[in-house]
Amino acid sequence: MSDTTDSKPVLDSSDLVAAIPYAAYLDIRIEQADDGEARVYRMPYRDDLIGSPRLPALHGGTVASLLELAMQFEVLIAEAQTRLPYPVDFSIDYWRSAAAADCWCRCRLIRSGRRIAQVQAECWQEDRERPIAFARADFLLRAVDGASEAE
Amino acid sequence: MYEQLDKRDPAIRAEIAARFNGRIPYNQAIGLRVVDVATERVVTALDYRECFLGDPGAGLWHTAVGMAAADSTCGLAVFLALPGLETIATLDLRMDYLRPAVAEQGLWIEAECYHVTRCVGFVRATLHQGDRERAVSLCTAAFMRTGKQIKP
Repeated sequence: MSDTTDSKPVLDSSDLVAAIPYAAYLDIRIEQADDGEARVYRMPYRDDLIGSPRLPALHGGTVASLLELAMQFEVLIAEAQTRLPYPVDFSIDYWRSAAAADCWCRCRLIRSGRRIAQVQAECWQEDRERPIAFARADFLLRAVDGASEAE
Repeated sequence: MYEQLDKRDPAIRAEIAARFNGRIPYNQAIGLRVVDVATERVVTALDYRECFLGDPGAGLWHTAVGMAAADSTCGLAVFLALPGLETIATLDLRMDYLRPAVAEQGLWIEAECYHVTRCVGFVRATLHQGDRERAVSLCTAAFMRTGKQIKP
């Protein structure tokens, strides 16, 4: 995804997260990737995110929450939306169990039309080459300043 | 001996569900309650909390809160549908967000495991805020059977 607007410090990501109570609850961090090209979303590990103490493994719903929030933020930033875009649907494949550790997520905005944005997201932990989950979602876009909707 | 558990007995189902839910830290963190597991239609609920909001301006729950609760509830429905106390893992899950859940009201999740094979349990769930005919979201999921029994 080559987005030239990325270099501009348009938004303060901590303000963005603070504005969404559930994102703040999960302490989601929006960070710049090492290659400087894309955003990376991180959910820091916390004991109460565990789903299976026996393994131990994170609750799948927390991983899915990270991916849905990340895709939502990705669309919000890339499409200059003024409010969090509302999801139409969301699905996730769990590839590996999530260890009791931080999760990272990277998104791909596949297509963004006038009304719908389609996004994919991948989640990994220690090893970027060993993703633990993959998600996709569609989001409803709101017209920005009435421009695109009127066309 | 756990293979002989009568999972049709409502009291046994309630006991299993309470233990299942109590063992999951994230369910405890968000306050997921087991409401009714007497039949195959497994019902849980979340009470409203401010930290569940996705759009505080409009007063709407974040959709992912219901999704996490749906994952747990679907898992419980599959767990109760399997013989014995076999551990399971979510393979995949899909949500359709029909309408937003509004603030100040609770969220109910009703899940039913409608098919079990040697390896997989198939489950679907409806999320609503009191009126089942006005679903907030629909969920479908598949859970993998591990073949391992939980040791008491």
